[in-house]
Amino acid sequence: MAKKTLYSLTLNGEEIEVASSAGATLLETLREDLRVLSSKRGCNQGVCGACTVLLDDKPVRACLTLTAHCEGRKLQTMEGMGGDPIMATLQRHMVESGGVQCGFCTGGVLISARNLLSEDPSPSRETVKTALSGNLCRCTGYRTIIDAVCGAAEELAQ
Amino acid sequence: MTLVLTPTSVEEAVALLAEHDEAMPISGGATLVAMRNASLVTPSHLVSLHMIPELHGITRTKAGGVRIGAMARHCETAACADLTGTLFVLRRAASMIANRVVRNMGTMGGSVANADPAADYLPALSCCDAVLSVAGPDGTRELSIHDYIEDWYETALEDGEIITAITLPAPQTAASGYHKIARVSGDFATASCAMALDPEGTGLRVAIGACGPGPIRDRDGEAALRGKLDDPAAVAEFAGRLVALADPVDDVRGSAEYRLRLIPRLVTSSLVELTKQKELA
Repeated sequence: MAKKTLYSLTLNGEEIEVASSAGATLLETLREDLRVLSSKRGCNQGVCGACTVLLDDKPVRACLTLTAHCEGRKLQTMEGMGGDPIMATLQRHMVESGGVQCGFCTGGVLISARNLLSEDPSPSRETVKTALSGNLCRCTGYRTIIDAVCGAAEELAQ
Repeated sequence: MTLVLTPTSVEEAVALLAEHDEAMPISGGATLVAMRNASLVTPSHLVSLHMIPELHGITRTKAGGVRIGAMARHCETAACADLTGTLFVLRRAASMIANRVVRNMGTMGGSVANADPAADYLPALSCCDAVLSVAGPDGTRELSIHDYIEDWYETALEDGEIITAITLPAPQTAASGYHKIARVSGDFATASCAMALDPEGTGLRVAIGACGPGPIRDRDGEAALRGKLDDPAAVAEFAGRLVALADPVDDVRGSAEYRLRLIPRLVTSSLVELTKQKELA
């Protein structure tokens, strides 16, 4: 039995304590100890973006973040974004434009897109592409995802 | 199984690194955690530099320069309004590292310590004549960026030493920029060029990245080129000197031969771009 360490952090608005193995990544803690599964293990190298979560409101890679570095900090995953109006609009546009196929990359894409729209409400198509360059999708070919983010931005600007 | 230690001072961090043979310092984790996930490194302890206040933040020095704490994230450097003139090149380089998410995580100290020749900071820091502050078991010392890289991924850092800050001399008025040729946005450079052009358009500083173990800078060549920037033959000769100093390898981002051909193109296109920028200013 690997030695566990107790960490306290705020997950989706709730203060929690979690016992995780020493040196665990946030992705391991989320998926294995908390069973919070929206953050996906794709490459485990920080390249694919499928594990992206918000730490103190900034998107980070859960696979490259040590849980020890999250002590006392605010963490948000897709599970906690149901009431977020920007996220809801993005989700609807992703469905309508066909931006979701297998769905593995979708959570990470949405968190990156939401972060972009919260900082830049009317991004150019080029800006959207750059902002999503850290999220790999092997299904869609990206066009429908970019359509969705641009569509959501337009709707939110109205 | 890795234990994470969280010292709150540089002295404590250095002592912990000395105490545990298999310990490694960790800053943003953007590279080191990925390497650990791939079992390329198996540290017994990770000595986290997160909780050490003096490693954070970007401040002006008394001499008018800029001190960047080793824990400054790429996103902070990319947004730092104090990086003007000759130092603007560093801001541009920071903004081109990987993608927004990784820029929220990675730190300048971590990137410089890792010394990936294709990473963006080293040529920009060479162009700025940066000085690294280092702390270790034998105390603290300062190290010029020009003496830092010794070979591929080998630096002048001794065992148990950590980078605490990167200090840049006071900015001089200049048009400066960082140009990177990469396969896709966010990739490491195939070749890159950090350049600063003085306001009279007479003098240049140039550092080439990803074409050898460390950045390529030819200060004698820069001096010889002074006042001759409107002479294409002189610029070509200078670019030829940089090519002669380069020692690139073939890798997935491009062949050595391709990289050698990119150097003169990068020098010329960067110079054209900066001249345009200077005329607009």
